[in-house]
Amino acid sequence: MANKRNAAILVALITVAVAAILVWRPTVIIYGLQSAGLYASIAIPMGLILGIVHIVNLAHGEFMMVAAYATYMLCSATGMDPFLAMVPAALVTAAFGFVIYKLTIKQALKAPELNQLILTFGIGISMTQIANLFFTSQTRKLSFDYVSASVDIGDLSFGIYKFVFVGIALLMIVGLRLFLTKTTTGKAALAVGQNPKGAAIVGIDVDKTYGFVFALASALVGMMGAVFITSSSIFPAVGSPFTMKSFCLIAMAGVGNIPGILSASILLGVSENFLKAFRGTRGWADIVFFVLIITVILGRSIKGKKG
Amino acid sequence: MKLKSSYIAVALAAVVVLAFPAFLGAYYLNVARSVMTYMALAISWDMLLRSGQISFGIAGLFGLGSYASALAVLRGGMDPFASIIFAAVFAGLMAFALGFVILRLRSMYFSITTLALMEIFRIVMHNLHDFSGGPEGVVLPVVIFNGDAPALYWLCLAGLIITIGVSWYFEKSKMHLALTAIRNDETSARSNGVDIFKYLLIAFVVTSTLQGMMGAIQVQSYGFTAPETAFDANFTLLPLAMALLGGIHSTIGPMAGAILLGIASEWLKLQIPYGHLIVYGVIIILVILFMPQGLLGMARKMIRAGRKAGATHE
Repeated sequence: MANKRNAAILVALITVAVAAILVWRPTVIIYGLQSAGLYASIAIPMGLILGIVHIVNLAHGEFMMVAAYATYMLCSATGMDPFLAMVPAALVTAAFGFVIYKLTIKQALKAPELNQLILTFGIGISMTQIANLFFTSQTRKLSFDYVSASVDIGDLSFGIYKFVFVGIALLMIVGLRLFLTKTTTGKAALAVGQNPKGAAIVGIDVDKTYGFVFALASALVGMMGAVFITSSSIFPAVGSPFTMKSFCLIAMAGVGNIPGILSASILLGVSENFLKAFRGTRGWADIVFFVLIITVILGRSIKGKKG
Repeated sequence: MKLKSSYIAVALAAVVVLAFPAFLGAYYLNVARSVMTYMALAISWDMLLRSGQISFGIAGLFGLGSYASALAVLRGGMDPFASIIFAAVFAGLMAFALGFVILRLRSMYFSITTLALMEIFRIVMHNLHDFSGGPEGVVLPVVIFNGDAPALYWLCLAGLIITIGVSWYFEKSKMHLALTAIRNDETSARSNGVDIFKYLLIAFVVTSTLQGMMGAIQVQSYGFTAPETAFDANFTLLPLAMALLGGIHSTIGPMAGAILLGIASEWLKLQIPYGHLIVYGVIIILVILFMPQGLLGMARKMIRAGRKAGATHE
């Protein structure tokens, strides 16, 4: 009972806060949602790997960075649109992710978790440095007309292009849900995620499933890398903050809760943009997420102790 | 007999290292200092690792120490030498306060939180324009010992020797048993009466103090720091790679790794200006995959195999 009442109070408080911000600074909510879409769609593939392969891929953001560079080269050489380039980018990163899985991560699956963390950390560093080697640390940017599309409501004017990311995040959530519950491969993957030994006993090829999930997640993050270049400039270290943000969003949502990642992203996106709305606090926007993650992780651990 | 010869070896090595400034030029002393700094960080990282906790936040405490020291001199008018002690104590106290919360976390959650803490420190220093100088950082009016190269070298060496000493004490005392027990199996350690939180807190505070001290020594020797230099990810990456290559869970392993990689990195920096750090990434991957015990573990294995072969011959 008490729990239900607390939840109701919480919902009411959030509604009031959102309404207040909406009236006062509408762009906070709008831009907050837009960045939430980007965060969520990058975090979801990582959540997929963590939920099924049980590996924290600290090279996740670097996969996106590699895809972004590949797309950048493709688009600047052929004049192709990044949205079209999503397909080749996804294929390339899927193959790339599969190879990385076979060569390195598969060997460390049985090793202690700490070894896996250090391994993927090393993979991430290597990828950043390879990009550094080939492209130097210079930032690169392609510009497109449709990115600056905007809408006026009354005297409020805001960019709408980045709502694309919200759409992609929603598509990913629905798509993955359908895949994991309706298809045989998806059901097998879910079973492996819940209990690899049990899945192996009933005849599911665990290794193949892991490889497939890794390739699928790499393809998704590769697609994001392709779209990412439309809205941001890229440089070798561009991916690493996203690795951390993604992990934090997953930790907030709870491992295995893919729709929860979107809600966590909205919380993060809106609070970041709230701070960005004021001159005095603009520089502090980056800190929100680190504080949020520490609070959430600690909150969870303390709750876990009590429960 | 064997004990005596190893003491003589250590004493000899100490004399050679102490006398380096007599026959090395300023550039090589500078290289030696950077190797020693990384070595101390590698050892301190390993000390916490012995309890099974991976910290990705070495650079955080290192940077915190360097800012504490620089600001104590600049804003508080403290003596540079005293400021190093102040910074070490400050980093230790900070770790003590933070430890109460973050040492409840385990495995990946602990690692990521240390990484996040480092980012928080960096952003705070980036944004406190009036106090910490913001993105431009702080410049000290004078370098400690007026920038005398041998004196700076000995200062850094002193920091390293303290670190080695503490690590050696950790290896020989009850701490070693407690930390190893926690690493191997926390539940059985607890049921055997090991106060897990106490030992983790001691290890965390001590390693943070050492990292803060090295940060302070670094900033006092260069007379300058900025958020991007103090909290440079290299201060996390390089010690990690060094300790892994040399062999974790020991004092001598990280030392060997630091000497090898430290010297290699100075050379590579000149060969490949962009991206020489790839060597570290690749080393981390290869070590984890093919020799998780590092060079030290390989050496031990070879010695054991050699002894066995010798025994069968007799």
